[in-house]
This record gives sequence, C-alpha cells and structure tokens, in this order.
Amino acid sequence: MAVVGRVRELVAEGRDLRAVSAELRRAVAQGPVTIRHAGHLHGLAAGLSEGDILIDGDAGDYLGVLNDGAYIHVTGNAGRYLADNMTSGTVVIDGSCGDGAGQYCYGGTIVVRGSAGALTAVMNKGATILIAGDVGNEAATYMLGGDVVILGDAGARLANYLIRGAIYVGGTWRSLGHNAVQAELDAADLEKLTAWFRRFDIAGDVPSLKKVVSLSQRPFYKS
Amino acid sequence: MPVMPPVNGTFCVTVLSDRCLNARMPGKCATCVRVCPHEVFRLDDAGIVSVQNYNACVGCRICAEFCPEDAIRINPAESEFLVRSPWTFPQVEEIHYKAQTGQYMLRGFGTMGLPSLFDQITVVPSQLASPPPLDKYREECDLELVIGEDTCEEPIRLKYPLIFPAMSFGALSREARMALAIGAAQTGILSNTGEGGLLRDETWLIKGYENEARTMKRWEPGGYLAVQWSTGRWGVSAEYLRAADAIEIKIGQGAKPGMGGHLLGAKVTAEIAAVRGVPVGTDALSPCRHYDVQNLEDLKRMVAFLRDVTEYHVPILFKLGPSRPYEDVCACVEVGADAISIDGLAGGTGASPAIVTQGVGIPTAALIAPAVRALKNLGVHRKVKLFILGGMRSGLDAYKAMAMGADGVGFGAAAEIAMGCRACMACHTGRCPYGITSQDPELRARLDAVEAGNRLANFIRATAEEIKMLTMLSGHDSIKGLSEEDLRAVDLDTAAITGLKLIGYDRRLPWWEEAYPSQAGGGTIGVDRRC
Repeated sequence: MAVVGRVRELVAEGRDLRAVSAELRRAVAQGPVTIRHAGHLHGLAAGLSEGDILIDGDAGDYLGVLNDGAYIHVTGNAGRYLADNMTSGTVVIDGSCGDGAGQYCYGGTIVVRGSAGALTAVMNKGATILIAGDVGNEAATYMLGGDVVILGDAGARLANYLIRGAIYVGGTWRSLGHNAVQAELDAADLEKLTAWFRRFDIAGDVPSLKKVVSLSQRPFYKS
Repeated sequence: MPVMPPVNGTFCVTVLSDRCLNARMPGKCATCVRVCPHEVFRLDDAGIVSVQNYNACVGCRICAEFCPEDAIRINPAESEFLVRSPWTFPQVEEIHYKAQTGQYMLRGFGTMGLPSLFDQITVVPSQLASPPPLDKYREECDLELVIGEDTCEEPIRLKYPLIFPAMSFGALSREARMALAIGAAQTGILSNTGEGGLLRDETWLIKGYENEARTMKRWEPGGYLAVQWSTGRWGVSAEYLRAADAIEIKIGQGAKPGMGGHLLGAKVTAEIAAVRGVPVGTDALSPCRHYDVQNLEDLKRMVAFLRDVTEYHVPILFKLGPSRPYEDVCACVEVGADAISIDGLAGGTGASPAIVTQGVGIPTAALIAPAVRALKNLGVHRKVKLFILGGMRSGLDAYKAMAMGADGVGFGAAAEIAMGCRACMACHTGRCPYGITSQDPELRARLDAVEAGNRLANFIRATAEEIKMLTMLSGHDSIKGLSEEDLRAVDLDTAAITGLKLIGYDRRLPWWEEAYPSQAGGGTIGVDRRC
C-alpha cells in the first residue's frame, strides 16, 4: 500500500481476491483508495458499507456486489454482473460493462457512460441505473422497483414481465416484453431525470425520453 | 334391457335424511333419481326417494354434484385407485377444473400418494457375526456433525445430524419462523431461512436468547442459522449474509426442481412485500436459475465473493433438486461447497404446480448412492457433508439415509407437522388453520412460537434418540461408523435402485457388483473413475 498525497494506492496485480479485499477493507476506513491492475479480480469491493474507491483501468466480474454504501468509480470497462445485489452506494463506469449490470439491486445508483450488455437491471428492486449508451436483450426483466434510464437503444423483450418501476429510453427498442407498456412522461419524471443528468453530468434530452411501465402487478396467476 | 355398469359393489351411497329435500317433502326434488345413469336411486309411488341398489354405483358423483342440499355422500368401499384408476374422482375433478378455468392446478405442502422407497429398506442389527451391539440405555453414542471444519473460521457443530431445511418467511408465518429458531436453539441444530429474508428476532432466538440485547438466555445450547442465497434474492444484503452462521446457495428443490420458489399473491402482505421489495399482493415467483450465473466458473466466483463478504468465517452450503445426483454433486464440490443438501421428489413446498410436485424428480432414497459415490470418487466423502431431504419422517428414515452414506438429514414437512400441521395441502392459499403457513393475523394468532418451538425440540430430541438407538443396536458408537452393511433391501426393485444387499440373497445384485465392486471385507460401494 503506497500513500500518494492523501490517496492510498493499492496494486492488485498478481494478488488474489482474499488478499486484496482484506487490505481494501482496512484502507477504505482511512480515506479514498485507488486500485490498479484489478481486471483479474471478480467480486472486488464486495459488501462495503463505506469507501471512496477509484479503479484505474478495467474491473472484473461482480464488481461491487452487495455494495452497501461505497462509491466506486472505474475509469475503464467493467465485467459482467456489475454492482449485483447492491443495497446502497454509487458505482460509476466511464467505459462499458458486460451482461447483467444492476441485477437484484435493492438500492443505490449505477452510472455506465458507455453501453451495457444483455439482462441489465434484471429483478432490480429499487436501484437507479443509468446507461448512457445501448443495452442488450432482456433488460429489466421481472423488475420489481427502481428506475432504469437507457439513452441509446434497447434490444428485444425490454422490460419483460415488468412489475413495478419505470424504464426510460432515449433511442428505440427492438421489442417490448410481456406486461410492459409505453406511458407518458409526467412532471415528476422530468424533475427526477433532470436532477440525475445534472448530478452525473450526462448529456441527454430529457423530454424526448420514452417511458415504459407495467400493465399489471399480477401477470402470472389469476384469482 | 338393463345395462351393466363398468364396475359395481364398490361404493357406499348415503343420503343424509336431515338435509334431503325429498325426505322432508315427499314427491319433491328427486334430482338424484333423474341424474343417476345407473338407477342407484328409486322414487316410489308414495313419492319417497331411497337408495335401491348401491351396488350399481360407479362413484361418478353426478348425484352429489346436482343435489341442491348437498345431502349425498359417496364413499369408496374399496380403494378408489383400485376400482376407478386411472379415472379416479380427483383425476376427474382436475380435468374439470382445467376445462372451466383454463388454468393448471397449484398446490401446497408436497408430494402425495407415492410410497417411500425407505420403507423397502430394513435395518440390520448386530448379533454375533459383526461387532456386538451397544447398550442404548447405558453406553454413549456420538451424534455430532461438523460442517466446514477445514475451510471456515467458524465451523458449525451440530449436536445432532439434523437440520430444518429452507422454508421462507412468506411461505411460513413469522411465528413459524420463530418457532423453528427456538426449536433449533434447544437442540443445537441448524435452521435455514429459505429465500424470504431474515427476521431480526431469528438472530437472537437461534442463539437461545429471548431478547435482542442477548441478556436473557432461555434455551441451551443454542443453534445455527443458515441464510439462503437463492434465485429471487428476496431480502438479501451484505448485512443479511453477515448475520448468519452459514450461507446456502439454492440451485433447486425437490417439490419443483427446475423452477424457482413460488409465493402466491394471497400471502404477500404489507410486511412480506416490504421484506422482499415487491408490491403487496403480487406473485413473488423466483427465477428458475440464478440470473448472475451462466456457468460453473461464475458459480466458483460467487462462492468466492460470498466467502469474502463474510470474511471466510462461515460455511457455504448448496441445495440441489433431485436431478442427476452424481454429476450435480461433483459440480458442487468443484465450486467449493462445504456441505450439499439434496432434496428428493417428495420434498415439500409452500406452493407449486401440482404436476411438478407429483411427477418431477428422482425419489429421495434413490439419490443417495450416486451422491455418495461422487463424494467418494472425489475423495471428499465425510469432508464435504451430505444432507438428504425430501419426505423424511423419522429417526428410522434418517438412519437409513445416513447408513447409505449421507452425513445428516433435514426435516421440513415433518417440522411443520411437529408444529401442529395436519397436511391439509392448503399452504399456497394462506389459509393454514394452524397459522404455520398463513399471513392472516387471525390464523397466525393460533400459533404460539414458544409452544411450537418446544414441540419442534421434542420432535428433534425423540428423533435423535431413535437414530442413537439404531446406531447402537447395529454395533456403532458413532454415526460416523454407519455403512450400507447396516441395511438390506427387502425387494428386488429396491436392491436394484439402491445397490444395497437384497434380503435372503444377502448380496448386492450382480450388476452393482460388476459396476462398483465391493471393497474387501465390507459392503461399501466401490469407487469408479467417472469424476
């Protein structure tokens, strides 16, 4: 662990998750931490309730899984299952991320300045997930709460079996899933979206976004 | 010309005279006389209806369906399955239900009507040819089972080789979840939250404390709580994982393998909805697989980050549905399991499509031999612990599973029954008359968590005594000494399925011997090189 100015630097190269993680847990309590060469680690920065972490370069799979309050910023790309099952905190990716970003989250915010893969925000239950680029197929499948913003295009079966929450799309989608329907933006949407765009410095035309909501909260079984 | 009905003499037909319209008003109604296709009923000249020939009844119940006063009872004199199979009354009703609603049947509780293979296995006691029996009343027997001894900083030391397997808050009431914790605390065993989140009360009850501050310890020795990391991830957070003594990764379950958990909207109250993060009244239908796992490499990484989040303190368990036990167990070992539970066809459920509960998966007893063979071939038998679940009823079932090579067993449905359940199969409706699987405050008030917890503890103690008795009468002072030599199959089918020696023949069937030759001096199943 090197201390440059007030920022601690942690070199992950050639080290395993257990070793890096133990050091990271101690380091985040002291102040901001920069990690380099962490692309080979999967499940890095898991379950932290505090911390300001900069990952210089790319990150592996399951980055920030179970995040519970840390701020994690990646200058490169992130792997699959970004911020899986997050409950609180913020994860910002300057590049793109793989499949399954923001799955199972209960809270927190994810910002991806590039694009995201398939199955983004599946079973999201409360997080705010902002994707500046495109997303793949099956985004927001069985989402039960929270918001997803996709400034680019979405793939097939967007919001399949959506139950609750909203998806805002800047471009087009290949198809909408079951139980999903387009709705009008209202004043609360505009206010919320504008605030997010300002906070995360995202350029986008808020009023032109298309909103998708659920048809029913009980699409599976009758009676 | 009289037409001979297809079967006769097998149903008792009773008309309840206090309900029957015609009994009160001769000449009226007589609907049963008109609708019966086999002239079971007769209307005489005085206008009075009577049963003239119950031998002609085929058990179709058309009369009962049309009776305006619900006054007719049709009871099979012989088993309905004998005389009407395959067109039994429940089968006819099921088709009618589908025809009327366009929906298939959902049902709670578990598999019904399939005999247990365990009943075709008998225990071999010790006499002269094997080490002599031990005295249950005056000698000691070791029943302890440890999980994660070499892999975790805080291994689990079960006082008895028994667990309460995953049953979620949602499927069960708050009181039932608390009762399981109290029962486990009194007996030093493990209770599993299932996938419906964690009740804060459970975290101190499981350790035997009455209060959150943990100043009043009421139940010794204290038990262990496993939380489930399942496909719906309901109520899951880092805090949830860190509150537990073990984490179970659910792959599947016996009642609906290949499908996820089902919690129907009727049971999704405001409290359940808040814990799970779903709207009130929605069906919480968990995915059939983990969305964040595409292959075994992902699963390995999942085990790694779960260990990391809990700082390598607690064991990682796996739960499998009854599919391909050999290969599935190999996969669990490969990704780093500390213990594996396999749930058989007869495994219980809060709600499931009926045909899946009844007809999907391998029966429990048939899973054990391949699962044990996998562990042996990988050199981890007795290290990675194996639990058998699914329709387990008693110390006798448990002993048989353990002699076949399992390290312990789980009691799910049996635990519900110990709390007072009478297997009415209404779990999915939320109308459990005992408040065990209900979220209705009025029904829940019928279940006293402490009383039900005491009943669970009693059941576990009695069952543990049964295991101890069988272990000792077959000449062992520890459950670790049990082997297939302590069992025999009583019929050819069971010997063929389990690889146990057949009674009388007193050997394993030839193809078992060929495929997995016995090791010298013992009846244990040999080792192959499939893994």
